[in-house]
Amino acid sequence: MKELHAGGIGARLPRKEDIPILRGEGRYFADISIAGQLHVMFLRSPHAHARILSIDVSAAEELPGVVAVITGEMIRNEMLPLPQPSVGGGLPGRKPKFWPLAVEKVKFHGEPVAAVVAETPYLAEDALEAIFVEYEPLPYVGDMEAALDPSSPRVHEDWNDNEIFKSNFRATRSADEHAAHIEEAKRRIAEAPFVVRQRFRTHRCGITALEPRGALAVWDATEGITAWMTTQRPHLQRLSLAEVLKLPQAKVRVIAPRDQGGGFGMKGSVYREPLLVAYLARHLRRPVRWLETREENLMAAGQGRDQIHDIELAADANGRLVALRDKIQTDAGDGCLGGTWGYAMPMVGGMRLPNAYILPFCDIQLRVAVTNKASLCPARGFGIFAPRFALERALDMLARKIGVEPAELLRKNFITTFPARLSTGLGYSSGDFVKTFDRLVELVDIPEFRRRQKEALSLGRYIGLGISTGVEVSGVDNLSYLTATGGPSYATVDLRVDSEGHVTVAYGDGPTGQGSQTTIAQVVAEELGIDPQNVTVLSGDTLTTTYSPGTVSGRGASMVLPAVALACRDLKKKIVRVVANDASMVAGDEEFSFADGYITYCGNSNLRRSFAELAHRIVIGAVDLPPGDTGGLEQRAVFEATRGNVCFSAHAAFVEVSPETGRVKITRYVTSDDAGVVINPLIVEGQIQGGVIQGISNFFFEEYVYNDEGQQMTSTLESYKIAKASDVPRIEIYHDAGTPNPTNPLGTRGIGEGCIAPVPGALGNAISDALRPLGIEITDLPVRPGPLFHRMDVALRDDQQA
Amino acid sequence: MYPSPIEGYVAPTTVDEAVAAFARWGEETHYIAGGQSLMQAIKSRMVRPKCLVDLQKIDVIQGIHQEPASIRIGAMTRYCDIADSELLEGPFAALVDGAGHVGDRQVRHRGTIGGSLCWNYISACMPAVNLAIGSQLTLASLSGQTRAIDIEDFLGAPLETSRQEGELLLSVELPQIVGRAGSAYRKWSLMTDGLPVIGVGAFLQLDDVGSCSSARISVTGLESGPIRVLTAERALIGVSHSNTKGIEEALNDSSTSLDTHSDEEADAEYRRVLFRHLGRDVVTRAFMRALGNRE
Amino acid sequence: MNTSVSITINGIAYERSIPIRMLLVDFIRYEAGLTGTHVGCTFEGACGACTVHLDGDAIKSCLVLAVQCDGRWITTVEGLAEGSELHPLQIAFNEHHALQCGYCTSGLLMTGVDLIEKDSELNEEKVRHGITGNLCRCAGYSNIVDAILSVARARTHEEEV
Ligand SMILES: Cc1cc2nc3c(=O)[nH]c(=O)nc-3n(C[C@H](O)[C@@H](O)[C@@H](O)COP(=O)(O)OP(=O)(O)OC[C@H]3O[C@@H](n4cnc5c(N)ncnc54)[C@H](O)[C@@H]3O)c2cc1C
Ligand code: FES
Ligand code: FES
Repeated sequence: MKELHAGGIGARLPRKEDIPILRGEGRYFADISIAGQLHVMFLRSPHAHARILSIDVSAAEELPGVVAVITGEMIRNEMLPLPQPSVGGGLPGRKPKFWPLAVEKVKFHGEPVAAVVAETPYLAEDALEAIFVEYEPLPYVGDMEAALDPSSPRVHEDWNDNEIFKSNFRATRSADEHAAHIEEAKRRIAEAPFVVRQRFRTHRCGITALEPRGALAVWDATEGITAWMTTQRPHLQRLSLAEVLKLPQAKVRVIAPRDQGGGFGMKGSVYREPLLVAYLARHLRRPVRWLETREENLMAAGQGRDQIHDIELAADANGRLVALRDKIQTDAGDGCLGGTWGYAMPMVGGMRLPNAYILPFCDIQLRVAVTNKASLCPARGFGIFAPRFALERALDMLARKIGVEPAELLRKNFITTFPARLSTGLGYSSGDFVKTFDRLVELVDIPEFRRRQKEALSLGRYIGLGISTGVEVSGVDNLSYLTATGGPSYATVDLRVDSEGHVTVAYGDGPTGQGSQTTIAQVVAEELGIDPQNVTVLSGDTLTTTYSPGTVSGRGASMVLPAVALACRDLKKKIVRVVANDASMVAGDEEFSFADGYITYCGNSNLRRSFAELAHRIVIGAVDLPPGDTGGLEQRAVFEATRGNVCFSAHAAFVEVSPETGRVKITRYVTSDDAGVVINPLIVEGQIQGGVIQGISNFFFEEYVYNDEGQQMTSTLESYKIAKASDVPRIEIYHDAGTPNPTNPLGTRGIGEGCIAPVPGALGNAISDALRPLGIEITDLPVRPGPLFHRMDVALRDDQQA
Repeated sequence: MYPSPIEGYVAPTTVDEAVAAFARWGEETHYIAGGQSLMQAIKSRMVRPKCLVDLQKIDVIQGIHQEPASIRIGAMTRYCDIADSELLEGPFAALVDGAGHVGDRQVRHRGTIGGSLCWNYISACMPAVNLAIGSQLTLASLSGQTRAIDIEDFLGAPLETSRQEGELLLSVELPQIVGRAGSAYRKWSLMTDGLPVIGVGAFLQLDDVGSCSSARISVTGLESGPIRVLTAERALIGVSHSNTKGIEEALNDSSTSLDTHSDEEADAEYRRVLFRHLGRDVVTRAFMRALGNRE
Repeated sequence: MNTSVSITINGIAYERSIPIRMLLVDFIRYEAGLTGTHVGCTFEGACGACTVHLDGDAIKSCLVLAVQCDGRWITTVEGLAEGSELHPLQIAFNEHHALQCGYCTSGLLMTGVDLIEKDSELNEEKVRHGITGNLCRCAGYSNIVDAILSVARARTHEEEV
């Protein structure tokens, strides 16, 4: 094993960002205040779908402390609506037009209708109660299948139906070629000895972060807008703000606070509220601040998943998969979400459906409906939570039909040659799925479990084992990213060394707890041989950083860190030139080592200079430099992936289901992941631990519920149930069977996004395995004890009668 | 999110001052105990108090006291104090079961038995526990008179009690016990210690041979408010702890008549299933405790 | 509708005239300027991010009015360290990687310290049960549990020695 560089790559370095947070000195959005700031609160629609007949704000305007009351009518000519080119330019589907406040009609329960600006948030809330809105209720469109029927009332009246997007994932095939492709898939299924046909359904849930959203904007006649906001993507916010306010980009500065309380995709979109906050700051010439309430967050942001899959999956007599068909439907809500428009997720999910398996013939069709719900939003796993559930469950059922261990079926069908291309056009650059998977299988000892399972069953106990996998492609190339999000994916970092040898790294993303201050410092430490404590990381400020797509889709490890390494390597070249020049010698960079704060000539260790001294030499004592070099020690690097970063996770869940209450207990949960070269195992394990628990929470507890009238019934943390410490197990995590990623100079793979996706399959398979004696298959999420109990009860009664 | 404007706040140190303050401020005056329900209602503006009369400084309604004939629990006694009380380890351990699992640690540091009984939330634990035990409540009226009332007559439909306007709950007296008795309470919720979908309390008294001589079984989580399950209580009489079949039948039979409802968390039938499941458990534990068996 | 209060936070008395309806958490954050205590709920009081100690007990500062704390003492996360010396639980959180975004952290530290101080026989189950009032969305809890247990064990060990 390679020796660990103190605090360098591979070290379990406790995080640098922790200390201020632990002292209560974190700098989150809500901790930022500007003298003279006003507070905005939103009046939100109580209806799912209604025409606004009138809004009376006169009483509210009279209340103490109220500065302004604003409605959609008042702003529709003052600012441009979305969509604008920055948000969704590249996306192939429809983009409904919307303003920050509802204009003419409301399209979901919780849509902002009016805004109060007041001296304190308490007074703002008082005034909300004095706004009177007259609504004419319209029929609620709440079921995605019904919404796609031509007879359905329309959500967007200027459209002729409710279909926001559809795709058949034909990749580069011509229409004719694709028709033939589908025929072949059908033929193969018709002729296959083993076929599973099943509908799977995943519910509306997401990863609401603990910190809600917020925005604070200041207007200055010369500088324009400065806006602090909770966002994973400050540069995207800047572009969209400039567009809707018709300002040059140079007059818009967006700052994502240093500390952000979680994002998980929820803070990756361009939302209504911050746009209005910026408008108000300019309109009122006063700083305006909006601090979201949890209720608003649960009503209007962060609702994800929500798909139906009708799958057909077939295998030949040897247990090789021959073809897959899937009709996917997704409920995009109203689709008014800048960036993804409610359908980028299912689009990507459909493209990735074939997962880790050789499936040359796929007929995948996606239809995305708009409904009267909050727009579907990115949530960790970006569109793949539902497809992974459906396919991994179908594979499990197929294995049972064939009569083999599911693990055997998976193993037989893994993609083994790279680069690989799926029938949907998606490319996989590298990996060793079999190796990572075998590690999992070795850890769980299936034969031993089967013995215990038999024994348990004889005692009336239902225990089960479920295995599933997930390939995540994140940190993708510019073209793919542009198509999916409307922006490029490259990472840019600026590295600056001061005259004491401390390094500052600046980049334009908006991290939300990923530990990037630490991992970036570790890469710098490794490359330059300095103490990671001497590295400072700045992020989130569009004024001091260059364009960057944001802290999304596992880009931290797969794109940003490689860019840091490249910058360091370029910087080293300059340092070596100076050292060599000062010693009047000629030497290449590889002849010097950077370690322990020193630069040492490998040919003669007496030629050794400290990094700090050299920094001073180049930054301050900047004379007699090598020809062509100038003073100062700084470097910009851009990393562009030519091929997507792939990571692979294999999960095993052990469960026991109580026949008395239908409650499922997870008795053990093991993962084996290919995280590539691991910069900091603490952080990688933390990402997986947290991601899997979120998946478990989604699977069993969380659900955004709309009643028959479209009322969102789960807008508190009491009703939207997130797993607590005693509801979840400890996850056993292994990342020792990974492979270095050849697509970037560090070999890292971004594990954060994808680690959640195998969870629903593993759990669904485990519960179905436990209940196989009763013939119960898990096809719908969430899995709740009551319904499960009833299914078991019926089966047990039938058993007794038989 | 933020309370509506509040005009007055009083923190009296005696009962007399408290009722006097309430009388003085009149309509939309509310006593506030631990605030673990009231503050939710105030912040959501369902309740818009003109004045709050804070009970935290009134010493005489705090704490758990062994009186000559019985145990008295002050209305302002917090869950955490009940859960840790040695005095309550005996026949009234259902109180410990209940209080030890209400909400979470922070809620148990603030919430009081009195507040829970006066609020009588649909799925609250203390009403059902006290219903099983058969507690007596003492209240002080606005005119300063006190009255005693049986818990059964106090509790009504969810969020309703027979408490008169301005009446202050002073204490909860536990019944006098002759012979062996034991109690237990358990709730079921989707999340650990969450508000229960259903909770069942049992209080059993045993005869000389260890059979049940009287039983009180209560349920919380019903739309009717907390109730006693009389059919189960009758069926348990004469049953011994080892008669698991008898216990099971008593609960199974009574569950069919239980008027349960369906909502997002559980359907009506599943609530009955949970009643049977929890009921078996609490009855068995109440037996064990009465018999002096350690769990 | 204003009233004057004196609330001692981390040993400092804050005397202020405030509206009666002001929540304790807003007093802490905006009157005392101690922003380590966070808010994650509308009115339900279910996330625990606002947990502080009131007279030594962990409570949710979003479910108490500031006026109710007149004359009482409060400890917030800022009061855990003694000068530059961190509380052992703060160190343990860092070492065990018990925080990611850190938004839940101050609340969990306050609940954790309360647990450690009041129960000398903590085990994993008790800790998990003890922190059900605190949601953590990022970390998946296990590292938090380990951090709390490590300090609890070190204490027991110290007492035994
Ligand atoms: C996160 C969370 C979880 C919870 N989980 C549970 C749970 O699992 N089980 C459960 O049972 N409850 C649960 N609760 C509710 C909690 O138990 C409260 O109902 C309880 O604490 C109320 O007591 P309190 O002292 O806080 O009363 P308050 O909220 O102060 O008062 C409640 C009502 O009673 C009145 N009142 C209070 N004391 C008196 C008195 N002495 N005389 C007359 N009137 C009085 C008040 O005016 C008010 O109307 C939970 C609460 C929270 C915030
Ligand atoms: S803000 Fe207090 S519990 Fe969530
Ligand atoms: S670390 Fe983010 S909520 Fe706990």
